[in-house]
Amino acid sequence: MKMGIQIEFVRADVLDGMSVEEKMSYILEHVKEDKIVVIEEGMSPLEESALIEATMKQVNKKFPGIEVSTLGEKSEDGIRQRLIRMLGGRTGGLTVIGPSKLVKEIRKDPKHITMLAAEEAEEDKRKRK
Amino acid sequence: MPWRKFFKWFGGFFGKRKVIRLGLYGPPNSGKTTLANKISMDWMGEPVGSVSEIPHETREVQKKEHILVETDGRKIEMNLLDMPGIATKIDFEEFIEYGLSKGEAQQRAKEATKGVIEAIKWLENVDTALVVMDSSKDPYTQVNITIIGNLEARSIPVIIVANKIDLEDAEPARIREAFPQHPVVEISGLRGDHIEDLYRAIAKHSR
Repeated sequence: MKMGIQIEFVRADVLDGMSVEEKMSYILEHVKEDKIVVIEEGMSPLEESALIEATMKQVNKKFPGIEVSTLGEKSEDGIRQRLIRMLGGRTGGLTVIGPSKLVKEIRKDPKHITMLAAEEAEEDKRKRK
Repeated sequence: MPWRKFFKWFGGFFGKRKVIRLGLYGPPNSGKTTLANKISMDWMGEPVGSVSEIPHETREVQKKEHILVETDGRKIEMNLLDMPGIATKIDFEEFIEYGLSKGEAQQRAKEATKGVIEAIKWLENVDTALVVMDSSKDPYTQVNITIIGNLEARSIPVIIVANKIDLEDAEPARIREAFPQHPVVEISGLRGDHIEDLYRAIAKHSR
């Protein structure tokens, strides 16, 4: 049976209140289940580097890593974001993270993300075993 | 620590030269070690590390200390830090395609993941960063954006190096368009084209 690619859309408030480590664990847990995770929020540069670091700690022959792209990066101080949230608003932005086995390419410009995803070929799956 | 600040100021007042920690950042195979070797050969007559077409040749931070650069009558002393390439994925299968055995490829991948972590940890310990990009490739990648964003968040001066302009399909203008907020120097680390412009930029923007 031919399997599809699973995409999980995550509301930003699911990650609210989580520490950076908890956020990265949440994301990687889902990505390692071969899901493409779309979060309705941008990431700050420090969160992006924390995600790369967390990913590198988990790389093995079955999980070679991720492809990630974020639109509307958050500012580091986060004051604006916190204020907007306190007033019940959303800060905007978007982050797409997927396993590199499935996400072949992500192209980005300041306004768009284009993602090319494909199921891993049977031959490649065998090689990883 | 007001006393530490005072002594630092006092030392600077009497002309004690500051040693700049210059970090070379970028994705794998953008030519960081080739450039580090060029700089080190120019001023010290010896290379920093080995280069290879196989990605992740540099898997540990490589240092060359006390390089004294002279440009336009100004002297700068720097410690050169050649960082492992930063990537979001490291697939040992890719190394096998370059002819490595499965064991060698897996070992290289394991070392490369540690190298990426080390490079990220060093981000807060450099005074100035050269972000090295391959001019023949799309510069607007998440890795480049993440590196530059992290340096900006720490107020570390960034000089973008549009490297490999010797390649036929090089388009350094794309790098200027992608990162207009930072100085961009177009060079070929391999041939040494415009390397003087880079030394001038380091002298001008470093701190």
